[in-house]
Amino acid sequence: MTTLATRKRPAPGGSPQSRPARSGASSVGRPGFAWALPATIFFALFALVPLAAVAVLSFTSWSGLGDPKFVGLENWETLIADPVMLKSLWLSLLFIVLGVVTQTPLSILLGVWAAGNQRNRAVLSAIYFIPLLLSSAAISVLWRALLDPNFGIPGQLSWLFGDGNLLGTQSGAIGVLIFVGMWQFTPFHTLIYQGAAKGIPTVLYQAAAIDGAGMMRQFFSITLPQLRNTAITSIILMVVGGLTTFETVLILTNGGPGTDTTITAFYMYQEAFQSFDFGVGSAIALVLVVVATVISLVVVKVSGYDKMNSSLEGL
Amino acid sequence: MNNRTWMSRSLAGTAVMMLGFTLAGCGGGGGDASSRPENELHLAVYGDASNKVEQAMVDKFNETSDVKIVLDTIPGADYQTKLQTIIDTDSAPDIFFNWGGGSIANFVEADLLLPLDDFIEEDAQLKDAFLPSVFETAVIDDKSYGIPMRGTQPVMLFNNSEVLEQAGIDAPPATWDELLDAVEKLKAAGVTPIALGGADQWPTQMWFQYMFDRVAGEGLFQAALDGDTDVWESEESRKALGMLRELVDAGAFGTNFDSVKFTDGGSPTLLSSGRAGFELMGSWAYATHLDANPEFAENVLGYSEFPAIEGGEGDPDNLAGNTNNFYSVHKDTRYPEEAAEFLKLMYSDEFVQEQIAIGNLPTTTNTEQFLDEASNPEYAKYQFDLVKEAPHFQLSWDQAYPPEATVTIHTAVSQFFSGQIDEDGFIKAMQSL
Repeated sequence: MTTLATRKRPAPGGSPQSRPARSGASSVGRPGFAWALPATIFFALFALVPLAAVAVLSFTSWSGLGDPKFVGLENWETLIADPVMLKSLWLSLLFIVLGVVTQTPLSILLGVWAAGNQRNRAVLSAIYFIPLLLSSAAISVLWRALLDPNFGIPGQLSWLFGDGNLLGTQSGAIGVLIFVGMWQFTPFHTLIYQGAAKGIPTVLYQAAAIDGAGMMRQFFSITLPQLRNTAITSIILMVVGGLTTFETVLILTNGGPGTDTTITAFYMYQEAFQSFDFGVGSAIALVLVVVATVISLVVVKVSGYDKMNSSLEGL
Repeated sequence: MNNRTWMSRSLAGTAVMMLGFTLAGCGGGGGDASSRPENELHLAVYGDASNKVEQAMVDKFNETSDVKIVLDTIPGADYQTKLQTIIDTDSAPDIFFNWGGGSIANFVEADLLLPLDDFIEEDAQLKDAFLPSVFETAVIDDKSYGIPMRGTQPVMLFNNSEVLEQAGIDAPPATWDELLDAVEKLKAAGVTPIALGGADQWPTQMWFQYMFDRVAGEGLFQAALDGDTDVWESEESRKALGMLRELVDAGAFGTNFDSVKFTDGGSPTLLSSGRAGFELMGSWAYATHLDANPEFAENVLGYSEFPAIEGGEGDPDNLAGNTNNFYSVHKDTRYPEEAAEFLKLMYSDEFVQEQIAIGNLPTTTNTEQFLDEASNPEYAKYQFDLVKEAPHFQLSWDQAYPPEATVTIHTAVSQFFSGQIDEDGFIKAMQSL
């Protein structure tokens, strides 16, 4: 914070680099670096420093007792040879893809609908948003109870669920996690799409109506293209959210059956806080950082989001 | 120096300093006694219904002592994680709850615990007042590190006596063949023979603990624990696994046990609602049922020992489960004398009576005289006799091994039951420990 104070004070002696004292319009321009300082410090303190510490820890063997011991590349060699690690990455990717595929269409439809002026819209929207207000842990406990094979929904609908062994098979457990994720996060993405859909100028629809375009045509030719950048934002959020999904896995499946839903974030927790191998846990964390960064970059590049074109196409 | 370089240098400097602090924070912060609070002893315990007795003991101690004990309850499921992350720092508790065996082995190895042998030398009761089979669990390398507290929790085969009666089973199975026979009868009666909370994984492990003990004797597991992993490949090991496979394949646990939990009431409700005949569970199952369905717990719930296995090496009276919980003392404690005084309360009549009143079964030699005060004296006496007579009391596998082995063991037992791995897969998993 002292740096901030120093920076604002006019430099004594008027060295060549010091700016003239601020006055009136002359100070309007690009804000100086000092403005970014608070955010930079917080980012460094809570993101970069831990990241650096994790990078260092990934080359050590440490159980939380005593001092970390440097072991070179041992943790990384363990991870590369570990079948569960590879499986967890594939599972994470599967979760991301399934999450995006199930949540995106639903939230676009709900969001566009919620942006309209229908009767009851406000009331129904409020109900749809309830899952957004619940904690992941509460949601997981709730669905865990609802899906009990003997005393929950599957027990009552045995014609649909058979013996109800939903969490005891890989496909069933993945299905449950995707469904619960959809139930939990669709309201959030609906909210994003609702805001974006409200921002689409009504003149576009009026013009289209004059040209004779029906509801469907308007949706596909106006609404969807206008929501393009919103969709990219939403998908990036889904990807990052999918990579860090943790509570639902912990409570609903505990990574099981066996290791069939052990996604990378959960595997990191297991290694670090259940097996007390903070070295391997840190290495997994770094892998997650790299994977998340690469995926985000690819999405941004492929979608042209980096060019930041106006979303108001046709205007 | 221009502003820009000055700025980036100071930023870099700050970052490096912070990194330094973080790493120093990671490293063994375990200081000496002087860095600990004055006139305070911190007591960390597993947070659950038993805490009221612990609080009462702390209050009693604090009445007469200048050094006050502060009770820190840590929510149950996170206990071991929290403990391991603070035990080597200045915030470590002076006295803490644990399960003996593997749960403290790493701490002993890291030289963090105070051997209690000096305390015992001054007051022999600290050892002699407890049942030997229980006290031994916290003895490592011939040094005592734990004083039993709370109660013993042997695993027993619980049953729904009404369901057994309807299926034509007169008495709980005393032998393996009788169990297999009962499974067939229960299947014919249209109920799941044995309830199993497979999603919790540790209930599945209970079947392995008993099968290996009955078939191979207690020596096999002890040898494996001591580092001889070849024993997992032995003939007895394969025989035990084969018998378990036979039981699972016979449909003894139904088909959806991997979706059922004990902890959310799933498997106990199967038993109490008459949809299952048996459940292998720790002695706390009685309290669970008493809480959810008192009528059932008092009149219908039955219990017996794990069946004997003909031709097996293990004594049919051997038990498995949680032998007891223990208090251990941190080496850096500022007030070892006061800690010793507090530990002496663990064999006091008052402590034993309070434990029995809340349904726990302490393992002191004076426990027997208070068993009539238990809410179910018959059940308390049955358990106490089992523990007293048991030639060997096998600590649960996931607690006998250090905590880092837990995930591997739990995954292996549940994958074996669900058929994802076979005998060889299980043997390989256990040999990796």
